[in-house]
Amino acid sequence: MSLSIETRAGIRIPSVVAVGFLALLSACAAWAQEDSQTREAAPGRDSMRQPHRVAQAISYPHEVVTLLTHSSPGSGSDLFLRELARRLGPQMGVDFVVEHVPGGGGARAMSRLANARPDGSVFYAATPSFIFTSLLSRPANTFRDLEPLINVFFDQEVVYTRSDGPFETFAQVIDSARAGRGRWGAASPGSLERQALERLRVAADVRAAIVTHDGGGDLILNVLNGTLDIGVGEAQEIRSQLESGNLRLLAVFSDARLPELPQIPTVRELGYDIVVTKFRGLMGPPGLSPEIVGAWEREVRQVLDDPEYRSSFSQAMLTPAFMGQADFTRFIDGFASDTEAFLRDTGVIR
Amino acid sequence: MDAVLQGLEMLVSTPIGLAAVAGVAWGILGGALPGISPSISMALLLPFTYGMEPNSAIVLLASTYIGAEYGGSIPAILIRTPGTNAAAATVLDGYAMKQRGQGGEALGISLYSGVIGGFIGLLMLVLLTRPLANLALAFTPMSYFALGVLGLSVIASLAGPSILKGLAAGLLGLMVATVGTDPVSGVPRFTFGRPELLDGIAPILVMVGLFAVSELFRQAGARAWSAVGGEATRIRFPGSRLRRRLVKPQLIGTSIGTVEGVIPGAGGTIASFLSYNEARRWSKFRDEFGKGSPEGIAAPEAANNTVASTALVPLLSFGIPGSNSAAILLGGLLVHGLLPGPRLFTENGDAVVGLYTGLFVANLSLLALGSLILPVCLWLVNRSRALLMAFIYALIFSGVYTINSSLFDVGLVLAAGAAGVVMRLVGLPILPAVLGVVLGFLVESNYRRSLLLSAGDHSIFLEDPIAVGLLTAAALFIAGSLGTRMWLAVRREGATASAER
Repeated sequence: MSLSIETRAGIRIPSVVAVGFLALLSACAAWAQEDSQTREAAPGRDSMRQPHRVAQAISYPHEVVTLLTHSSPGSGSDLFLRELARRLGPQMGVDFVVEHVPGGGGARAMSRLANARPDGSVFYAATPSFIFTSLLSRPANTFRDLEPLINVFFDQEVVYTRSDGPFETFAQVIDSARAGRGRWGAASPGSLERQALERLRVAADVRAAIVTHDGGGDLILNVLNGTLDIGVGEAQEIRSQLESGNLRLLAVFSDARLPELPQIPTVRELGYDIVVTKFRGLMGPPGLSPEIVGAWEREVRQVLDDPEYRSSFSQAMLTPAFMGQADFTRFIDGFASDTEAFLRDTGVIR
Repeated sequence: MDAVLQGLEMLVSTPIGLAAVAGVAWGILGGALPGISPSISMALLLPFTYGMEPNSAIVLLASTYIGAEYGGSIPAILIRTPGTNAAAATVLDGYAMKQRGQGGEALGISLYSGVIGGFIGLLMLVLLTRPLANLALAFTPMSYFALGVLGLSVIASLAGPSILKGLAAGLLGLMVATVGTDPVSGVPRFTFGRPELLDGIAPILVMVGLFAVSELFRQAGARAWSAVGGEATRIRFPGSRLRRRLVKPQLIGTSIGTVEGVIPGAGGTIASFLSYNEARRWSKFRDEFGKGSPEGIAAPEAANNTVASTALVPLLSFGIPGSNSAAILLGGLLVHGLLPGPRLFTENGDAVVGLYTGLFVANLSLLALGSLILPVCLWLVNRSRALLMAFIYALIFSGVYTINSSLFDVGLVLAAGAAGVVMRLVGLPILPAVLGVVLGFLVESNYRRSLLLSAGDHSIFLEDPIAVGLLTAAALFIAGSLGTRMWLAVRREGATASAER
């Protein structure tokens, strides 16, 4: 089996041949002298102990794997997929193709995936929006028709205000909303950011207008020009404003302080038990084989340790948050039921 | 001065010149295809730029935007199909000139005005980035609401003979704009469970349907198709006399375009409609508007090409994309590790100089490429009527289908076309409906945002100076147009009375 894979990949990419050949050699060597060699070569240690798994890692059953996204080129999902593909491609011996399937907030991409063969040749970049779309309208296929594969990152949601404004701490924002009326901004009405603020308003028991926008841009402007007290958004959207000192971070909605921003408290430690997680993972067609799932779990876990990749995603303010299929499935179920409850509470769906 | 030299050096030492020409060519093509918006043309190109050198990649994308904003006017003039949202205003007088057999002149005027608008826009971008950025910051939800109302006030003067029918058509447009996700609560409205309608009905679909498809339906019903007149297939640039006449509308277009381009979310469509209206107001030949006035092409075309440059102001100075096209350019910058914002100018000054130089070349090549492409387009539309109709149907529906690969969108365009035929039969003007569709969401979402901020108190609109200014202007426009209408009516009655006597 391994031989045929080697020649197949060899026709396409020479570097893959080299890597595959070396791994094969070391695997044979390990097989022969299992005991003496297992403790060397730390990164490949696991695979050396189990030579048949090495063959699996290299023998991903497809040369071309399509990654779908419903977002436009240049968007967060597009950049996520392309960076991931660039690192995973050589490692898995696979050519990744990123394909944009716009329309219906992910409805078309979901249909395409739900009707694809679960052979591991096509996956979909999952973010909270495909769950929102599934709950808000009646698309032909919903997230329930897809199979969670893995989660890769969390995109952190942060609370920010303008630097020359009246607020220096998160507590001041809450106090001001308690004394009078807060003006809080979130990106779009059916968004995680709005969900975070609605929950904060209830938890803190204050009066605040939660103003939603058409996207991140006009929200940032309305925070900068003082129309709003605070805004909530993804950390990477406001990077340039943070660097130039026009905006100030007050808190993050993560479950622990971020390593990149150790001085910024979490909302939870400030006394409101609210954690929102914008996940970035992959979904597949229903019925993926355990081999495919296992290959992805192993490969993605490994690529997240790549120091070069590490520096590139931490610069984009992404937190690695690997979840295998079992964990990710539980996570998606929990996320969907939380979201559904929120949408019912706010009267968006009945 | 150093920057100019640096720009020249980059021009000869890097491929940015080539990128600018290529971007404009691609942009004109994308803009001219109905349905392919500037942002889609850019999005299609974006993955190819990932492997390019950063300066060329950014110039390529920005030039595509410029080319596309111009390209939209070609089908607007020749086949009554706005290729882009912003070209809708050009349809009015452009297609009228084409029907009079002056297609070559109309195309010449739009290209000439577009290039002038592009250069002035670039000048504004280079010289006034900082003050213009502050202007963008000053726009609150209240100001956006007032801006939308100002846009809608154009209905008063462009409603055609009956103001009531104009208002009815405007309302129809506003109703279409309510389809989609509620801007404040997120509740899906009038979507009937169709995910395609969650984002609302795209204005370009309505425009293509109302303007172009309804025209196709109407022509299909014409009894005999006249033979094609031997129209000249050459474009004609305006002569010196006409050029002098065009100075005023172009000035109006570029000033409005400069301001609107800077304000995120406003964009080229409002700019071109407002400029069209102002050009008409200040023209010596007001009666020609709508019947093929050169000024009616020059003003909107100058405006939307100015917008293509000044729309970069909020992106470059804050890192905030003001439109879909700017958002894609932002993606392009991020891929290459360039973070737009205040520090871009100090830390990546050469990227900015490269971009400005590229945009200069792009506007120059717009003139050259336009002159090359337009005769071909003119030749195309001078084929026999049967061939032309089939070609336009294919062009429109393939273009519309491409946006989301969705047959649902094609159905929407057909429905809008049928609605357009009915509107023509009962004498409802199309323009107010289009304005309603374009501005409905802007007006509604910002009105509700403002009231959310003030807990329902309308006086918040009076506390915002920009909103007060814009609302006053809108009120004056409406009062002025109604006054003129009444005065004209009285005079006409007087004239008939004296004729009878």
